[in-house]
Amino acid sequence: MMSNPYLPLSMRIEKVTIENDARDLKTFDLAFVNESDRQQFQFIPGQFAFLSIAGTGEAPFGIASAPHEPLVKFTVKRVGVFTTALHEMTEGKIIGMRGPWGNSYPFELMIGKDVVIVSGGFSFTTLRATIAHLLPPKNRLNFGKITAIYGARSPGELLYKEELRAWEQNPDLDLILCVDRLNGADWPKREGLVPNVLKSVAPKAENAVALVCGPPIMIKYTHPVLAELGFSPDRVFLSLENRMKCGIGKCGHCNIGPKYVCKDGPVFSYDQLLNLPPEY
Amino acid sequence: MKACIVTRNELTQLLDRLISHVDVYAPVREKGTANWAKISSVDEVYLEAVNSREPAKGFIFPRCELLMRFDKNGNPIVPAPIQEQILFGIRPCDARALKVLERFFVQDGKSDPYVQRRVEKTTLIGMACNRTAPTCFCFALGNSPHDTEGLDLLLTEVEGVFLAEAVTEKGEKLLADLSPADETVLRKRAALKSKVESEINERFDVKKLQGKLPQLFKHEVWEVLSLSCVNCGACTFLCPTCHCFDVTDETMRGKSARYRVWDSCQFTLYSRHASGHNPRFDSSSRYRNRMMDKFYYTTEQVGLISCVGCGRCISACPAGIDIRQTVAKLLRIIDGMGK
Repeated sequence: MMSNPYLPLSMRIEKVTIENDARDLKTFDLAFVNESDRQQFQFIPGQFAFLSIAGTGEAPFGIASAPHEPLVKFTVKRVGVFTTALHEMTEGKIIGMRGPWGNSYPFELMIGKDVVIVSGGFSFTTLRATIAHLLPPKNRLNFGKITAIYGARSPGELLYKEELRAWEQNPDLDLILCVDRLNGADWPKREGLVPNVLKSVAPKAENAVALVCGPPIMIKYTHPVLAELGFSPDRVFLSLENRMKCGIGKCGHCNIGPKYVCKDGPVFSYDQLLNLPPEY
Repeated sequence: MKACIVTRNELTQLLDRLISHVDVYAPVREKGTANWAKISSVDEVYLEAVNSREPAKGFIFPRCELLMRFDKNGNPIVPAPIQEQILFGIRPCDARALKVLERFFVQDGKSDPYVQRRVEKTTLIGMACNRTAPTCFCFALGNSPHDTEGLDLLLTEVEGVFLAEAVTEKGEKLLADLSPADETVLRKRAALKSKVESEINERFDVKKLQGKLPQLFKHEVWEVLSLSCVNCGACTFLCPTCHCFDVTDETMRGKSARYRVWDSCQFTLYSRHASGHNPRFDSSSRYRNRMMDKFYYTTEQVGLISCVGCGRCISACPAGIDIRQTVAKLLRIIDGMGK
């Protein structure tokens, strides 16, 4: 039979990490059960995959690991039936995964340019993949200055804390962490909303590409700042999420006008979005 | 392609032969109208109702389809493919709709293997309409009740006999041993065609509509058009080209399976994110999405409008919404825009 895009591959949960104080964000590092699946699963940061639990269902998540990393990483917030079941899964258990679906961040366009990454909340996943992909020396040489601004509500809500600490020391990356409100928390770094921090950091727009992923409200206030800094709409890229069921442009759910987030996205240039209905 | 004359007797023999070794489905009498069912005799075929209550889309895209079962370790098992099937008496509008679905599921981007294998196993024997129902408007969209698009074989009843025209090789094979049609029959058929086409009076400028619809996205007319809509989704379930589905898992007595079921963009849950944010929260935005999809989005996606003029959404709407009036209204607005 022809290849069936609905069939999940078997994945073993190698590691589960609780990411935040609220304990509703967990990271799952998955290994392929079958070696042939591992070889066939080729992806680029920005793409997503469906995780599946037999008898419970499936849902799409951005891939949070880089292609060279041995395990496939997903960070999942507990919100509904499927994610609650997934959160109850422990190391060693087998789950399903199908993908990778969608396009990716525009790495070819980014070659030779500065990269500005703007992210808020737990949408940092595919941008974490992007940073992890850009940093190895083999890739790093192809890009200019990399600036990443990553904010969360409070210090305890930032993902991948240990890795962030290491990245802050990395001279190849200018990582700026911020939190919305301190509320008395011990935080020696920046306090402020992501768009405001972006404004004060003011990365230069000349020969640069901006990658943005975050909640709608952050995106809304980030656009004017990027425009003010001189980023033209065709140099700003956003990763979108819409409800989806198939991942291959058939089930209909994720359409924005004639485009499907799963197939034509999830990464769109701001320029593209200006020509589409605001249905995301 | 070959065109033949088929008498009633010959048609009965042909169908009996097909029924003996293939699953043959046809419109049969049901609750005062017609609906699709598997037939065991040609006598069951009922074509008086002009068209079946439900479209034929379920034969290539079932309302509820098993995607996979899971074994006790959670490994997926794909169900066996279906047997060969013949749809007899499908109307040209519904055959065209299957073509739209095929284009969408099989030819555009990644192929859907479930639809693809059903399409490959399906033969369509169409029956041209010599009369129309009050809700028919295929001709208004530039199609004809005698069209062959999507069919393997088209039958047209001409004065007690049938003109059979092969459209594909599959259809031509069915016509072996039959006598070719003569000029007289073809002339009579042409007269029947123009007569039935004249029963539909509206004409919609579909090109103009698809060209200008993007500019109407923010127009207040959607609020007005959708006022009476109760978001029941009947229009989308009965639409022969609507293809949206949900994927859902079921577990019974310890056995799990994954199904897909038809879904509708008219439901509020359809587009609601896990966060609660909903890009199409208002009823009017969902009504707009359906119209935009029929006449604009699918032209971008597969190069075809996805309304075939079957009229089912008109007869099924509990609020009396008539897509012909909606289209006419939109075209009036478009005509006014230039002024």
